[in-house]
Amino acid sequence: MKPCPEEIVQYMHDYLDGEITRRDEQILSEHLEKCQACQKHMDQLSRSVAFLKSASHIEAPEGFSDRIMASLPKERQGAGVRR
Amino acid sequence: MEDIVKKRIKQVLKGDQSAFEEIVSLYQNRLYQVCYRMLGNRHEAEDIAQEAFIRAYINLHTFDQKRKFSTWLYRIATNLCIDRIRKKKPDTFLDAPVPGTDGLDHYSSLAHDSPLPEEEVEKMEQQERVQYEISRLPDKYRSAIVLRYIEELPLQEISEILELPLGTVKTRIHRGREALRKQMKKL
Repeated sequence: MKPCPEEIVQYMHDYLDGEITRRDEQILSEHLEKCQACQKHMDQLSRSVAFLKSASHIEAPEGFSDRIMASLPKERQGAGVRR
Repeated sequence: MEDIVKKRIKQVLKGDQSAFEEIVSLYQNRLYQVCYRMLGNRHEAEDIAQEAFIRAYINLHTFDQKRKFSTWLYRIATNLCIDRIRKKKPDTFLDAPVPGTDGLDHYSSLAHDSPLPEEEVEKMEQQERVQYEISRLPDKYRSAIVLRYIEELPLQEISEILELPLGTVKTRIHRGREALRKQMKKL
């Protein structure tokens, strides 16, 4: 079996970045139809991305902004009233 | 939102410290989330996110008000996270280039934690597993991947935050996805 064209993996990433040209997308999809190994590669990449996107939204802990405001230096350098 | 922020920045620069509170409220969740995903630890995330806001406050006069404030804030936070990650690693030979890695050094090739046995990983809850896999990414890829897939930022903005050319950001995201694919093959 002849090896897959080198640019196929690059096209997969272009596709995932939403930056693939119509022509390259055509080449990619035609290749994936006949190559199981690349199909699997693409599938694993897509699942990795979906997995990352499944990360739940994390919020700052209770009282976080109060703690920041309390820990700011009393006066900014060069601003405010000088004593 | 950027308009409100710019108004508040002007007030802070005139000496009104309380105007900074609204800025903190607007960005605290995003900044904490980035730090948490980068560092994988709530205590450290709070520590670093807080440090980022304090630095932003102290250096506010250096912020170019023609630029996007969130980009500047994210930059401060990601730099602090990267510094923190590097400090945690053993400090021998870290700067030596690794052959065949395109100029990446040992900082980026060292995993965050040593990998766990497979049975342990399989027992993890989904959310625990997500954080585990992110923390195993080399840090050069991790920051780009977190900004892209957790914060869902456009590539151009990530390039400004990390102060890297767009092409480099794309390469890191590509390699990050490949690294994740390899880590998770058995999923």
